[in-house]
Amino acid sequence: MSNEQTQGKLASAISSEVMIEVNNMNKWYGAFHVLKDIDLTVHKGERIVVCGPSGSGKSTLIRCINALEEHQEGDVIVDGIKLGKNLKNLDHIRTEVGMVFQNFNLFPHMTILENLILGPIWVRKMSKAEAIETAMMYLERVKIPEQADKYPGQMSGGQQQRVAIARSLCMNPKIMLFDEPTSALDPEMIKEVLDVMVELAGTGMTMIVVTHEMGFAKTIADRVIFMDEGDIVEQNKPAEFFENPQHERTKLFLSQIL
Amino acid sequence: MAIIKAEKTTARPAPLFETSVIGWLHKNLFSSAFNTLLTGFMLYIIYLTVSGVFVWGFADATYVAKNRRECYDNSLTGACWAGVIHWLDNIFYGRYPRDQIWRINFGGLLLVLWMAPLWMSRVKGKVLVGATVVVFYPFIAGYLFSGGDKGLFMQFTIAGAIVAFAINMANMITGQTKNLGLNVFLIQMLGQTKATDNAQRNILLLLTALAFGAAFVWQMGWTVEGITWTKWGGLFLTLVISGIGIASSLPGGIILALGRRSKLTVIRVLCVGFIEVFRSVPLITVLFMATTMFPLFMPEGFVLNKLAQVIIAVILFNACYMAETVRAGLQAIPKGQYEGAHTIGLGYWKMMGLIIMPQALKHMIPNIVGSFIGLLKDTTLVSIIGLFDILGMLRSISKDMPWIGLHKEPLVFGAILFFILCFSMSKYSRHLEVKLSAGERH
Repeated sequence: MSNEQTQGKLASAISSEVMIEVNNMNKWYGAFHVLKDIDLTVHKGERIVVCGPSGSGKSTLIRCINALEEHQEGDVIVDGIKLGKNLKNLDHIRTEVGMVFQNFNLFPHMTILENLILGPIWVRKMSKAEAIETAMMYLERVKIPEQADKYPGQMSGGQQQRVAIARSLCMNPKIMLFDEPTSALDPEMIKEVLDVMVELAGTGMTMIVVTHEMGFAKTIADRVIFMDEGDIVEQNKPAEFFENPQHERTKLFLSQIL
Repeated sequence: MAIIKAEKTTARPAPLFETSVIGWLHKNLFSSAFNTLLTGFMLYIIYLTVSGVFVWGFADATYVAKNRRECYDNSLTGACWAGVIHWLDNIFYGRYPRDQIWRINFGGLLLVLWMAPLWMSRVKGKVLVGATVVVFYPFIAGYLFSGGDKGLFMQFTIAGAIVAFAINMANMITGQTKNLGLNVFLIQMLGQTKATDNAQRNILLLLTALAFGAAFVWQMGWTVEGITWTKWGGLFLTLVISGIGIASSLPGGIILALGRRSKLTVIRVLCVGFIEVFRSVPLITVLFMATTMFPLFMPEGFVLNKLAQVIIAVILFNACYMAETVRAGLQAIPKGQYEGAHTIGLGYWKMMGLIIMPQALKHMIPNIVGSFIGLLKDTTLVSIIGLFDILGMLRSISKDMPWIGLHKEPLVFGAILFFILCFSMSKYSRHLEVKLSAGERH
């Protein structure tokens, strides 16, 4: 899908501070080796797009970064804290890392506003008034403040995904992870979600996005990572990645999707 | 070549056949000669049944008589409701002293009043209302029903119950009339709206403490005469057993269900074992075990009354069924909900309490209420181990000399009572389902 956004490239604001460090990480699902010797360093403010064929381990990689999945070997260090069995650390990491899912995962029994203020009130211990103020600010930013009292089931997919993004932002995270945020959406709604993400990228948020939206990747990415069968096969600046792929597998993949 | 439809098609009304009463009748009752015949036949059978019941139960029935002989003298083919009417107090209250029956009625009224705010949309703080009922009502009701000396502990809990009830009622009034919670109303009355949250809370705590002191002094004055549980009976006893069973088996079931899904092996195995053992044994066996075997395992001199043993047995038995119901509900919640809760940093208990349980329980309302109905009906089994619950009372009518042999009428009356109780529960659950799923479509 070629987007108008592909024209203007966002200025990047990468700092030297390391946000995420993955050292020689391995993960198995049972006997199946999903992630193989992954090394990855993400700096503060860096925007990374991860792509690759299905089953290549893209989603698993970012799910390991906020400890939704356990890895078996190697280290994952997020915001200076090493992920491990320590549950206190886990909850802390999860409050600092926002995540947006393919299926939104909003809480259907709560209104939009209740979805948004839940984390700030129960985890961040904010007062209710303050939480509502923050929530309305972010709803404003994803351009649906008038829907605050609706239930998720009454909204379109694109609106739900924007709410999911706002819900993560309400926790004031340092890192945002996106797991195929537009894959479950009707084509008409993809753009409204991507627009919100592009705007977010402009604020200097550290982002890792698993997506097949190549136009979007060209606009916002500082680096594109291509994965295949659990390996990071190739990584490069988007311009070079798309115009001059090096690895055979990358060439084949790009020839099929572009 | 493009094919274009220039005009928008307007919507037309459906064919009359789909929407009219005659259409419905034709489609459902008289669609063919054979179906018409069947309809006529069924109407005839319905007529026979209804008219038979009407003649027996109303037209030929006797309402006033001194004994069964008089009933027969009046009519041989009609029901003898006189016996049931004569025994009505026993059916409802068992052998509870007649001059003390007000205590049971008052206890029931208290419960209804206490729960009333839960059904009023303008009242604030419903969770607190529900919590105070569960925490305080059993103590004050327990004392009302059994009476006797109040120990210091009972004095404290009764004073607590009085304060909680009074706060509830005041909260209901401010909610209904001013649309405010009692706390907000009091702060406004005292002109402390500008005070800090902490100061406001302290004022409210102080007021509560004062109220508690007053209630404590007030309740010291009154006592009611002791009535042992052996005098409890009838519908009252049935409602006590099933009420406690219903109120305790749901939380018990939730704990067991969470235990069964726990990652800790010891807890999981214990819960699975407990659930499977109790589910594989008929309730009547559990009741016999509780009343005959249980005392054998207890230390010498430890005496628990039979009613308490029965109630514990009913709770354990139903908690195990409830656990499986709740587990089914938990399994219906998609993994994404857990992950959504994780990503905003909720820990296990907050995730369960705020995200997973509310959804699971809502899906489970029909099954949970089904279990409650089953529980209410199952409690009639206690008549077998010698408690005079409603069924026990109904059956003893036929052994009472003036009414000897009167089986049918009491049992029909009991059936009607149970139908009213169970059907209203079922209707209420349906109402809850609709209310809770308002605005939510998947």
